Amino acid sequence: MLSFVISRLLSALFVIFGVSCLVFFLIHLVPGDPVEVMLGESSQPADREALRAALGLDQPILVQLMNYFNGLLHFDLGESLHSKRPIADMLMERIPATATLAAAGLLVAVIIAFPLGIMAAMKKDTAWDSGAMFFSLFGISIPNFWMGPLLILFFSLWLGWLPVSGQSGIESLVLPALTLGTALAAILARMIRATLLEVMGEDYIRTARAKGLSERAVIMNHGLKNAMLPVITLLGLQLGALLGGAMITEIVFSWPGIGQLTIDAINRRDYPVVQACILLISLTYVVVNTLTDLVYAWMDPRIRLGNAQ
Amino acid sequence: MPHLTGKHFFALLLLLPLSLLLASCAAPDNGALRFGLSKMPVTLDPRFSTDATSSRINRLLYQRLVDFDAASMPAPSLATWQKLSPLHYRFTLASERALFSNGERLTSEDVKATYAFILDAENASPHRLTLARSIERIETRGDDVIDFILKEADLLFPGRLGIGILPRALIESQHPFNRSPLGSGAYQLVAWPDDTHLRLKRRSDDLLLEFIEVTDPNVRVLKLMRGEIDMMQNDLPPELIRYLSNESGITITHGAGSNFAYLGFNMEDEFTGVQQVREAISLALDRDSIIQYVLGESARPANALLSPDHWAGAPALHQIAYDPAAAKSLLMPLGYTPENPLHLTYKTSSDPFRLRLATVIQQQLAEVGIKVELKSYDWGTFYGDIKAGRFQMYSLMWVGIKLPDIFRYVFHSTAVPPEGANRGRFIDAETDRLIEAAEAANTIEKQSELYQQLQHHLVQQLPFVPLWYEDHVFIARDHVSGYTIARDGNYDGLLDVKRQ
Amino acid sequence: MMRLWFPAAIFILWFVLALFGQLFSLSPDHIELSRILLPPDANEWFGYDDLGRSLWDRLIVGAQTSFIVSIAVVAISMLIGVTIGSFSAFIGGWFDHLIVRIIDIFLAFPGILLAIALAGLMGPGIDNVVIALCVVGWVGFARLSRAQVMTLKNRDHVQAAIALGASRSRIIFKHLVPLMAAPLIVEATFAIASVVIAEAGLSFLGLGIQPPTPSWGSMIRDGTRYMLVAPHMVLVPGIALMLVVLSVNLLGDRLRDWLDVRTRDRH
Repeated sequence: MLSFVISRLLSALFVIFGVSCLVFFLIHLVPGDPVEVMLGESSQPADREALRAALGLDQPILVQLMNYFNGLLHFDLGESLHSKRPIADMLMERIPATATLAAAGLLVAVIIAFPLGIMAAMKKDTAWDSGAMFFSLFGISIPNFWMGPLLILFFSLWLGWLPVSGQSGIESLVLPALTLGTALAAILARMIRATLLEVMGEDYIRTARAKGLSERAVIMNHGLKNAMLPVITLLGLQLGALLGGAMITEIVFSWPGIGQLTIDAINRRDYPVVQACILLISLTYVVVNTLTDLVYAWMDPRIRLGNAQ
Repeated sequence: MPHLTGKHFFALLLLLPLSLLLASCAAPDNGALRFGLSKMPVTLDPRFSTDATSSRINRLLYQRLVDFDAASMPAPSLATWQKLSPLHYRFTLASERALFSNGERLTSEDVKATYAFILDAENASPHRLTLARSIERIETRGDDVIDFILKEADLLFPGRLGIGILPRALIESQHPFNRSPLGSGAYQLVAWPDDTHLRLKRRSDDLLLEFIEVTDPNVRVLKLMRGEIDMMQNDLPPELIRYLSNESGITITHGAGSNFAYLGFNMEDEFTGVQQVREAISLALDRDSIIQYVLGESARPANALLSPDHWAGAPALHQIAYDPAAAKSLLMPLGYTPENPLHLTYKTSSDPFRLRLATVIQQQLAEVGIKVELKSYDWGTFYGDIKAGRFQMYSLMWVGIKLPDIFRYVFHSTAVPPEGANRGRFIDAETDRLIEAAEAANTIEKQSELYQQLQHHLVQQLPFVPLWYEDHVFIARDHVSGYTIARDGNYDGLLDVKRQ
Repeated sequence: MMRLWFPAAIFILWFVLALFGQLFSLSPDHIELSRILLPPDANEWFGYDDLGRSLWDRLIVGAQTSFIVSIAVVAISMLIGVTIGSFSAFIGGWFDHLIVRIIDIFLAFPGILLAIALAGLMGPGIDNVVIALCVVGWVGFARLSRAQVMTLKNRDHVQAAIALGASRSRIIFKHLVPLMAAPLIVEATFAIASVVIAEAGLSFLGLGIQPPTPSWGSMIRDGTRYMLVAPHMVLVPGIALMLVVLSVNLLGDRLRDWLDVRTRDRH
């Protein structure tokens, strides 16, 4: 177990290092002179030099890289070119909104996916099953940026049930959470169905059935418990898609989170802020995935007891 | 052996978002009148505000010495004035005047402190330049009288004293007026809790007023329909206004405006610097159709920067024609036809409505043989490019123009940025001569005549193509009454607004 | 049967409109102020947009945009991904180790995030969209082909080819790639669906195709602004986009069952 944890943490550290490097080099990989792209093609040389110096782009690349990592280690992400505020402060202000949205999206996904997946597995190969699976494919095929307007159109405009946007109480979270959670719900439902079907073929399930437990009890007590492991891993992996989706959902619903900040920064060509946002989201993803792996290991006795490679 | 059952798992998943939700619950309804804004003010410190929203809200929070009448002539506000000599103006504060909201009396010392702060170059106030050019020194005579001694004669000098007066003691203690404004205006600050809510209170009757930022026009309309906001002004596409006009319980009021939309050109550019090209552009634009279909009839075609009802406006100015055939025949000798078009880039802000107008203009120009490439930018980038002269052609608006010295600021050869706003680098001896002559005139009538001549000259030269003056639209739920629309679109209607 | 014919019909329609749409003599950029926001009627099935442009014309040109981008992105990503993945597995050793690490790093960026950042940094335009989506897209193909080659390279005829001294590229492209064709085709089908969504997403954010060239994503964005008064503007491109993605996903599902390929579940 210990060796697993150590190797997992080491590889996470490596990925974190790699991601930070890639984010750093993003601005350098862009074809052409980033300063010229930022200022427009007909900019004055003096303006360009000033911005180059402000971004530290006039220094040798290794010095830039050292400064960048030095800053990261001290949680100093630099200043916004636009508002001149410390980027770390700007991120801190936005994190709660994105976290709320992502958590609510996750909740919606779980609430939809479990009943749907369980029903599909219990009634395998019936109209219920294929209906549920078609529905879930539907969910995968609707992009956030269309689902959002559609929900607004139906629930806010035509039915008048829910507020459109803004953060005024819990009801304003419903539509964004639905928008964000649907795709994940669809994937999760398919996964739950598949793992349940796999698990239901195992010996101990047959034993449980033989004991005379109802099919419902078998699924709820034995099947689900054992189907949990792969589902948790999937949730961890899907967090990336969830965070990516949250960015677009934030735009659709004017939700003041990291996604909105990123897009605003891109539009203002405030590249240090763009870098910081990308870094924050991808590092969150890496950390959560690592945690998921560790939880998985802790729950799975084969890994926990150290007899699995 | 730790067991994670389905139940535990659900409980964990439920707890996490719920705890987050409780933390993010909004403030309860407080009975305030709510005003929807597309953009929050940047600063509530009148010494530094330049954007329209800030200036409009600052008018509610502070009082100023001088204001303007319907024809944009300076008129007494907090003070009346006498011109003791061309270089000496004496202002007398009204004897019945409001206290600052902290209970202190507003005196001549506060007026002096406010203007002294702006005139001090170290404070880098954006209003310094125009004031520093005319003011020699400021003297107080008792609590109620202030003398302004000028460097040079300036007929319109009182019109420059429109900045809100701040209390001297707080100026000296460097009070952060930008977030905690304190003035003697009709309203005072209650709270500015976050970037989207600003709460004020009317001092006469404790009426609460809340400004709420709602960027998206659709959402603003829906919030109005659902009663989440009570009123709003402007920043809506005409289709949405028409949509709201069919709703019951909502009243829409239109008012003529003086905000002036135009197409600007770079005079140093080898294409837009050519007069025939600019003339062809002006002839190619079907402004009446744009006003009818895209602006929903809520604009008046413009031929000059000042509207005809301004005291220095030029009502006799001939209407710029829509004549695509004439535009083509101007471009023909230069070698451009619809088949072999002239290529220009046209910069606009990324505001969807401005972009929509620009796309229509793009098509109308294409029909006479000018192919423009649209480039839209976030406001800050766009405005930065325009100020720096990085454009061939752009569209923009002048908002809240009162004094005719805007002409010096925009067209005089010495007003190239950063000195002024001659962004197109327009250098013309006759324009300079007319501006200087108008400034030197010793009566208002003579000055008005010279400025009218200047506007006739400008419509020949076309350093920009005037487009239209946009109307103002105030939309409110029926329980809101007493609001009147100002020509420059300010929010002074809120001084008398009532809830029924 | 419905589950195959319906998606196949939509897919073919998309394909045909994208390739032969020009025959309709379209004018997607023609502005007609008097037709602003006119709703659908018998002559114009899909109505007009906020500048009086025909939504039908714009929809078809948008179909071309999404088709070209998705085919280009999937083809390029597949070429790059399969090459890198196969060589990595085939060569093995430190090289393979390095590639796996690089793949890990790219996978650490959530979905569309890297594409948003790249498209944002490079500026709008169809070529930049393709580049941004390829940078994100190659990883999936690399991972899949690496795993495939790992298991395939021990097959007898591959070992025989190695023993005969055939060059690496010859072995990979002559012997291994044909064996991987089935899973690659399934992966490519799903990739098309996600690229269609990603391109529309970038255009929705204003980071994709430069206006006035229509893209379904930017049409949806324009449509949301007039949702209250002209819901057809957001419904028309949205339904088209969803039908295409749904069909491609359904076809992918069918194909996977038919070719009996076990791939990782979609995400």
